[in-house]
Amino acid sequence: MMGKKMGFLGFGTLFGFTLSRVGASEFDLIFNLFVGRDLKLAWVILTAIIVGFIGMQVLQLRGKTTRSGQPLKISHKKLGRWSLLGAALFGIGWGMAGACPGTVLAQLGEGKIFGFFTFIGMIYGTYIYALLKEKRPDL
Amino acid sequence: MIETLAESIFVRPWPFWAGGIVIGLLVPLLYYFYNTALGVSTGYGNLVKIIFRTHRLKWIQSHFTDTWSWRVFFIAGMILGGFLANSLAGNPGTTAEMGQFTAALNWPALLTALYFFAGGILLGLGARMAGGCTSGHGIHGIANLHLSSIFATAFFLIGGVIAANLVRILLLGGGG
Repeated sequence: MMGKKMGFLGFGTLFGFTLSRVGASEFDLIFNLFVGRDLKLAWVILTAIIVGFIGMQVLQLRGKTTRSGQPLKISHKKLGRWSLLGAALFGIGWGMAGACPGTVLAQLGEGKIFGFFTFIGMIYGTYIYALLKEKRPDL
Repeated sequence: MIETLAESIFVRPWPFWAGGIVIGLLVPLLYYFYNTALGVSTGYGNLVKIIFRTHRLKWIQSHFTDTWSWRVFFIAGMILGGFLANSLAGNPGTTAEMGQFTAALNWPALLTALYFFAGGILLGLGARMAGGCTSGHGIHGIANLHLSSIFATAFFLIGGVIAANLVRILLLGGGG
């Protein structure tokens, strides 16, 4: 399935390019949203949600199938016992680092040196989750 | 005319709606082409498998059977996209600046690095506990009207508001 991987390389490039161009990879754009100084990032996310919603409705109207005619499998994430605590921890990291798992990748490409440490921290945080999950399977 | 268009795309910062439209379109496009949900943070599990010794970790072994899956390519693309945006805009290739954080604080580089590393740990651990991040829950989940994603995103925002205001008051001098 090399085609799929190359496709995701392309879509990822578009995603990273867009995050960078709209300023979402800037510490200040994220920080200023959370302290209420500049709501641009909120408008970016809200526009993306609305466009994504409309696009999904179009796919549903087309007959709920992909380009190759497979039925759509919409991923639906359920909340577990620890999910909202995790979401709050995520938010604290988001506000501290001024980055999220997507925008930190654009930061890496832009050569933001401290973004590299956020990125390494995210890999470590995921590793810590894997270690904790050994002891607490409900995590 | 063409020069102004190229400047608007590659040099001047995009208005919110341009970024929102492209990012939003990724949700239906990834379903249309690959029947796959938009999401970034799960791919960090692939990176863990690539970097650490994980043969004893059941969660890694069961969830990331394909080590070099599309998620790794998506991540690589996003880094490339940031690189292209930065180069085409004519910005320097590397910078130790992090907006008002590094502008206001004269911390030694090691301390700043540790601070961002700590933020990253919370992001990585929190994303897995929550089951997704800004893209998977915040954009993909809410665009599909999933209540779980609306709750998760609300808690992302609550955490962000608390942390950023603490940083503003305790570290950056509290100015409005």
